[in-house]
Amino acid sequence: MSAPADCAACADERAAGAAFCESCGQALATGAEREPGTDCAACGATGTVGADGYCENCGMLAGRPRDHVEADAHEVAAAVSDRGLRHHRNEDAMWLAVRGSDADIVVCDGVSASFDPDVASETAAETAGKVLAGPADDVAAHVGAAISAAADAVAALAGSGDPRRAASNPACTIVAACRRGDTIGYGWVGDSRAYWVPASGAASRLTEDDSWAAHAIALGIDPAAAMNAPNAHAITAWLGADAGTVRPRTGTLRPDGPGTLVLCSDGLWNYLVPLDDFAAAVRTAVRDHPAPLEAARALVTLAVDAGGADNITVALLAV
Amino acid sequence: MAYTAEAFQNEYLALGATEVDAIVTVTSTGAEGGRRTSGATEIIIVDCSGSMQAEGRMAAARHAAKAAVGCIDDGVHFAIIAGVSTAQQLFPDPGELAVASPQTRAEAVRAIDRLQANGGTAMGAWLKLAHRLFGLRPGDIAHAILLTDGENGEYGGYLESVLTEIGGSFTCDCRGVGTNWQVSELRKIANALLGTVDIVARPEDLATAFEQMMTAAMSKTSGDVQLKVWTPIKAVIRFVKQVEPQVVDLTGKRVEEGPRTGLYPLGAWGAESRDYHICVQVPAGMSGDEMLAARLSVMEGDTVLTQALVRAVWTGDAALSTRINRQVAHYTGQAELAEAIQAGIEARKHGDDHTATIKFGRAAQLAHQSGNKATEDLLSTVVDIEDAATGTVRLRRKIDAADEMALDTRSTKTVRVGRQQ
Repeated sequence: MSAPADCAACADERAAGAAFCESCGQALATGAEREPGTDCAACGATGTVGADGYCENCGMLAGRPRDHVEADAHEVAAAVSDRGLRHHRNEDAMWLAVRGSDADIVVCDGVSASFDPDVASETAAETAGKVLAGPADDVAAHVGAAISAAADAVAALAGSGDPRRAASNPACTIVAACRRGDTIGYGWVGDSRAYWVPASGAASRLTEDDSWAAHAIALGIDPAAAMNAPNAHAITAWLGADAGTVRPRTGTLRPDGPGTLVLCSDGLWNYLVPLDDFAAAVRTAVRDHPAPLEAARALVTLAVDAGGADNITVALLAV
Repeated sequence: MAYTAEAFQNEYLALGATEVDAIVTVTSTGAEGGRRTSGATEIIIVDCSGSMQAEGRMAAARHAAKAAVGCIDDGVHFAIIAGVSTAQQLFPDPGELAVASPQTRAEAVRAIDRLQANGGTAMGAWLKLAHRLFGLRPGDIAHAILLTDGENGEYGGYLESVLTEIGGSFTCDCRGVGTNWQVSELRKIANALLGTVDIVARPEDLATAFEQMMTAAMSKTSGDVQLKVWTPIKAVIRFVKQVEPQVVDLTGKRVEEGPRTGLYPLGAWGAESRDYHICVQVPAGMSGDEMLAARLSVMEGDTVLTQALVRAVWTGDAALSTRINRQVAHYTGQAELAEAIQAGIEARKHGDDHTATIKFGRAAQLAHQSGNKATEDLLSTVVDIEDAATGTVRLRRKIDAADEMALDTRSTKTVRVGRQQ
């Protein structure tokens, strides 16, 4: 398997494909950030993008890197994160790093009700990603350690930066996975999910949401009614200073055939709640788009077309 | 010179919303070592009209002018104008400025002893002479004190035409002694010349008032500070106001500077902090769009001292767009407070007690809610405040004219909002 592009900033091969280079922290894949002096996409004026990123003519911000982020590890894996239609910024964050067929993937979703949730998700994804890059004996325990490190880093945010963080501490969810050889370890806190969608046979959801709806369903409430309740998405576990002791749940997957591991935020799965619908959408995307990046884009587009009510992040690992 | 500017706003707008409000706090630590970046000129204008003989006002004015002269730093240029039916330069020789030193201050004090009350009131002429004298020292921090006890005697419209001509060329703090002068007249002068206006009801308090004004003037280290405001195409500036330490509407003082850019005069600055309220109307954006609604630069000459950005971010998330920014709400209330008081005084003058009661009631409520104790106390000299929380007040039968004028002149004084959010 050929290695994808190196980090352009420090040329670290190990970082190839990561959304953020684990060596120097540079963003490897970004969206529409524009250089000063370029043309404004909003009003079409020539060369009007100013030094602070706003158009000197119409005032529109020329682009926010996190509005649409892609990480491409070619035939191994890909991840796409998008602002969607309704939210003013992308509070999801992701990490993707591959070495040969080994892969580290993290997807985080900032809790909108908290202050600076975008910083929480970015911090969690990067912290977990860097821990995942280390050696792993037990892949599930390795993912658990990465999530715990992310939990500590996010909790520490409340005491730094804007004082409003102390009053409403930055918080986020996390789902992470790492593949070493034929074994995949995964773990999560909150309602970001991991799915295993084999090329044939029954798909499975690997994670169980830490959410009100999941608790309600576990207690016997009709799943459809629970998912439609106003507080269905209220999460019962998260990363953040007010989260108490974070106990990531973890698991190990040993696929016995080809398929796709999907990690995603609720911006995608909320439009595909029944497992069969989700699996069908993934299989269609993978069939129509053999390149993981194209398939991930197709799934993001599906969520945007369905309303794009939330930020959407999808990471695909080809098995 | 260290300046900082910080914008306080709720940048999140509901879809379709077009109005962006922000409070910008500008703070200066003053010039390094407290030294001025330019020279300074002080002119003291003392009303010498015949009415100044009453109640020992002339003697008190002489005493106050001497006290002010005593506060002028060595090296500062200064002059004294005797205000009668024309403007007469009392000190130094006509058309000249003195340089402050122990000797010139002593000479000025001797000249002040010659001040006599006999003549009319011609504020336009006095200010014109001051303007000519300031013209001898372009680039200086230019500050004048104007003392009067009566109404302007010049023909209608003359003072206004002078103010249009000289507006913004120097700062003028106006003080009225007694109760026979017009608050609206001095406020017009103070607004045009970025100064303050206040009543000194008792002549014996004049010396302290003059000392305070002169000491404050001596603490200014930069002369001509401007606020440069850039707004995007199709944006309309609804207003630019100073809102702390007192309300001053700067909207009409805009001087076009370049594409989508205008300059607003901020006057002289020392080590101090002031708050400004800017309201801009912009074309509505789509969900997720982020627009720079205004870029504010504090300028001295061509030098950008500091900048603050006023942003607009459109969102479908009502939890964000309905957030009330405390600073914006507070100063919107303080501006309404000043308007309510002035409207109440105006209504009472015209015998419209019903309107006056409503306006003063609203003012009492706003002063109480915002913790503006000084204004609440002033209000209680004009109305009996029965319940400040609901704005229930009763007009007093007898009101001391000085109390009402104090309420009027100080109605624009604001209090600062707590910064914790």
